[in-house]
Amino acid sequence: MKTKELNIIKEIVGEENVITSEEERYCYSYDSTRLEYMPDVVVKASTVEEISNIFQFASQEKIPVTPRGAATGLSGGCLAVNGGILLLMVGMDKILDVNPVDLLIDVEAGIITQKVDLEAQKYGLFYPPDPGTVKTSTIGGNIAENAGGLRGLKYGVTKDYVNALEAVLPNGDIVNFGTRTVKGVTGYNMVDLMSGSEGTLAVITKATLSLLPMPPAKASLLALFNTIEDAAKTVRDIVSEGVITSTLELIDQVTINAIEDYLGLGLDRNIGAMLLIEVDGQQGAVDAEAEIVMKVCNLNNAASCKKAASEKERDEIWAARRAALSSLARVEPSTILEDATIPRSRIVDMVQAVNGIAKKFDLKIGTFGHAGDGNLHPTILTDLRDPEEEKKVEGAIEDIFKAAVDMGGTLSGEHGIGISKARYLKMEISHESYEIMKRVKKAFDPDNILNPGKMFTDL
Amino acid sequence: MTEKNKKTKTKDKARVFKRYDDLFNCSRCGTCMSFCPVYKNTNDEGVSPRGKLSLIEAISQDKLDFTDKVSDKIYTCTMCNYCDSECPSGVKVSELFEEMRQDLIDEEKYPQALDFLKRRLDEAYNVTFDTNEGRIDWTKQIPDSQPEDFLKEKAEVIYFVGCVSSFSPRTFKIPRSIVQVFREARVDFGLLGDEEWCCGFPLLSSGMKPEAKKLADHNIAEIMKRGAKTLITSCPSCYHTWKHEYPRISSEKIDFEIMHVSQYMLKLIEDGKINLKKFEKRVAYHDPCDLGRNSEVYDEPRKVIESIPGVEFVELSANKNLANCCGGGGNLESLDSGLSARIAESRAREILDADVDILVSACQQCERTLGAALKKLKKEAKRKIKVYDIAELVLASIKAD
Repeated sequence: MKTKELNIIKEIVGEENVITSEEERYCYSYDSTRLEYMPDVVVKASTVEEISNIFQFASQEKIPVTPRGAATGLSGGCLAVNGGILLLMVGMDKILDVNPVDLLIDVEAGIITQKVDLEAQKYGLFYPPDPGTVKTSTIGGNIAENAGGLRGLKYGVTKDYVNALEAVLPNGDIVNFGTRTVKGVTGYNMVDLMSGSEGTLAVITKATLSLLPMPPAKASLLALFNTIEDAAKTVRDIVSEGVITSTLELIDQVTINAIEDYLGLGLDRNIGAMLLIEVDGQQGAVDAEAEIVMKVCNLNNAASCKKAASEKERDEIWAARRAALSSLARVEPSTILEDATIPRSRIVDMVQAVNGIAKKFDLKIGTFGHAGDGNLHPTILTDLRDPEEEKKVEGAIEDIFKAAVDMGGTLSGEHGIGISKARYLKMEISHESYEIMKRVKKAFDPDNILNPGKMFTDL
Repeated sequence: MTEKNKKTKTKDKARVFKRYDDLFNCSRCGTCMSFCPVYKNTNDEGVSPRGKLSLIEAISQDKLDFTDKVSDKIYTCTMCNYCDSECPSGVKVSELFEEMRQDLIDEEKYPQALDFLKRRLDEAYNVTFDTNEGRIDWTKQIPDSQPEDFLKEKAEVIYFVGCVSSFSPRTFKIPRSIVQVFREARVDFGLLGDEEWCCGFPLLSSGMKPEAKKLADHNIAEIMKRGAKTLITSCPSCYHTWKHEYPRISSEKIDFEIMHVSQYMLKLIEDGKINLKKFEKRVAYHDPCDLGRNSEVYDEPRKVIESIPGVEFVELSANKNLANCCGGGGNLESLDSGLSARIAESRAREILDADVDILVSACQQCERTLGAALKKLKKEAKRKIKVYDIAELVLASIKAD
């Protein structure tokens, strides 16, 4: 980056908010994919006006700008593929307003997601989307990737809680979309377009999120099954019986064994799969739903089905699920977490497909995840530094995507396309659909300066 | 060989070049950023454990050099070890950081303040500007005694005070309370006086391991000379160094028990040697990182507090191995006092949320930094929380009407 350009940037945000040293920029070159792209400069944003000015300058000079939150994304969404300016959003993290009557909270986009939930709890409310990185990731990043979490089946995902937002367009225009009302049909639904746009259309600076009253009661159950097919059938049948659980997590045998290796919780290593189930709501409903869940588990040959009788037992039940990813991560140097998602009716097929793929490519794959909404996480355990392994992994991932799409599913339930899945997008999206998406991108960003290199391989 | 490689003086000997496999275990998941005190109070990726590991890995892969900027990031650390303890991938974070610091020492890329530290420890065996002869001046205010009374040739118990409590007047209340409690309980104890040399923790934590050996050897020999069966220390960093580092770095035989004062006080209480009277206060306990997470001493301080009649013990929501750092460790204060204070303020806000009268801890650093932060927040929070050392609390109970 030329000195003249750096000076303009320093004028806009203040010299202390501009990072140029190679060492410091290196720390902003990665996210949780372990891919690395060096930005030419890192700019710490504090106000929407500063961001607008940065974009006005960048669009004039055709300098790429990539927004970054906490960089815990799993698709490369905040990596500066073409260098340029890395726009750091984590300093814009204020809670602006809470309106408990309207069930709304206004926040700056750089706020850590858990802080939104903790603030809501002060009012007896909660913010339902709970992605695995809830304690580290930012709302802006969550919205951009339409982050999910464990509560997806009952409570939906991030986009379902974004009522309104403020954003900066690639030309520097500050725009506001959405309403503060429960319903609204005024102009295009730009809020939903922003959610999951992966920072390629605009940079989200503020969000008005909706909250829900905290359910007064909940029940946690742990069911063990001799076969994963029984567990998967149970997932289907619970919903068929009319119970929408707030959590319905599956853990397969590979994962159970990894957990036992790491923590020795006393889990049966020969069990086919475990289901961690939670229902919440009014006490009466919770009791009734827990009953139904237990019945369904037993009808599907559950080896055991236990309901937590105390907070301590609840913690014990959850310990395995909480340790799932961490246990798998300790098996091999590289841990690749996929999130191909299928309709719930195809869970059994998907689990069998993944197991088949693991055998075909001679790879260790542990599967756990949000079985209730069809979003399992086949997790490949390998060493990506080995070119042979890398090839096998590429093949396996492609097969997993093919299987998911064939079953009417989707490449990504919650991680996004970014860099990682861009080359597979046309497996799922038709040519015409893909082309109109590109035209939308061009409409927002004619010079392709905002977060280039994501989602489309041919822009 | 590129220009870059030529800059690294000790490339062939640098330890981090052999640690690529361990470094590669970091998946960059970012979990550490949710609890690292320096990251949380700076939003600077470079000082997060993930950021530090990425720099070390980059150096090990010849992408970066050992530079001042890198050194800056690595040394911006309170050494609370939360990262090492909670990393989901089991990365050996503390070990890698320690080796990196040692490499930075070899590369002569370390904070200037450490040179002062090293020189003082070499010349005066303590980390202050004072001579070691003043090491037990703090005893002068103890009623009915002369400093010499505490320098026994033989004693069952030696109380190892530590540099900070020996020389920093604001912390004198800790050893003074301990001495008075010991006298109440008729403990046969002594002090080392100017033969008490710094435990060596500041050297070990900076990466200067060889220099610490001299101190360890001397201190162990002095305890053995006095025939003590038990060594007590009030500083958690001294405790951790004695208990977990000395066996590693010293060749001297350790034939005595090493206890933190909170553990010894519990023993005195359980043996009925102390008469505790009613002390009606709501009390919270802050786990010092070096005593709690790093030494796993969680129960004894709590049992001591709960032994006091009238005390209502309130557990802080972030406690034990998940307690948040006070900002006082890792030499951070000497490198960035502003950041250290901000970390203390964050923890102080958590303590204010607990709605207690008294905060008890078992570390002079924690008590000082949190005391200062609570004082600063007094007006904003409209409440005053007093900070007690565990020994002060016990003494207060002994002296209560």
